[in-house]
Amino acid sequence: MPDLPELNPVVHGRLRLALLSLLSGVEEAEFTWLRAKTAATDGNLGAQLLKLEEAGYVSVEKKFVLRKPQTLYRITEAGRRALADYVEALKQLLGVAVDAKSVPRHRPS
Amino acid sequence: MPENTTEQELKDRLSLIENMIAQGRRDTESWGWTFILWGVVYYLALTWSASGHSAWAWPVTMLIAVIVTVVVASLKAGRHPETTLGRAIGSIWIALGISMFLLFLSLGVAGRLTDQHLFAAVVSAILGMANGASGLMLRWKVQLACALVWWTAAVASCFGTDKESMIVFLVAIFLGQIVFGIYGMIAGARARRQQDRAHA
Repeated sequence: MPDLPELNPVVHGRLRLALLSLLSGVEEAEFTWLRAKTAATDGNLGAQLLKLEEAGYVSVEKKFVLRKPQTLYRITEAGRRALADYVEALKQLLGVAVDAKSVPRHRPS
Repeated sequence: MPENTTEQELKDRLSLIENMIAQGRRDTESWGWTFILWGVVYYLALTWSASGHSAWAWPVTMLIAVIVTVVVASLKAGRHPETTLGRAIGSIWIALGISMFLLFLSLGVAGRLTDQHLFAAVVSAILGMANGASGLMLRWKVQLACALVWWTAAVASCFGTDKESMIVFLVAIFLGQIVFGIYGMIAGARARRQQDRAHA
């Protein structure tokens, strides 16, 4: 049996995974845009983004536009690589699961 | 692998990734209708101006198209929050609309909208600029091809007879607005279908 790959626990969290996936499709995104896309609460979204930032998977830029605060998030190269590795690991795990299912339990007589 | 992760959960994670990536890209694919709308409006304005009321044909049709675009876009805005990239591209098209409206309203009212070659060349060059800038920002080859159509039309409009210039302009409208708009709508619908399948 092949060695099963590990799923990165930082990426595996459902909201964090959604955030990384969203950010991988755009160059940068505002906090409000991410909130609308994920339907997460401000507190939860902020906490998960902080975890991704601490892991070095997203970068944050805070600025004022027309005197209004704006927080922009970007996926980093490390974040893009972590997401790609996670997808690869998922596919491997699913491949193993499908292979296991496709093996007949009882050999037909 | 985290404990208690079932096969279904792994599949859900893959669906979530596909769904979210599609959400991010859909913002740039949901504008096909505006290209078709404006392509039809250009044809209407050309037909109207050819019937003899050239002074008001462009300003009136442009104004109606602007109102329809703004109303529909504001209704869709709630479903498609902006990113900086989206806002940058949107700004180009808003600036283009204002420039064309002011320029052709003034030329029409002043009665100087008479040189068909110059008119087609200016409109084509402006549309080539906007499509080119948007295509470069999005790294979207289809829109860059669209810009190439407009730039070719801008150059070709400077030469030949009035009839040839008009044919070039009509073909450019068809390719750059109608065909590109339909392509954009098909791409958007395909992305939505993929998302629906991921949710199923």
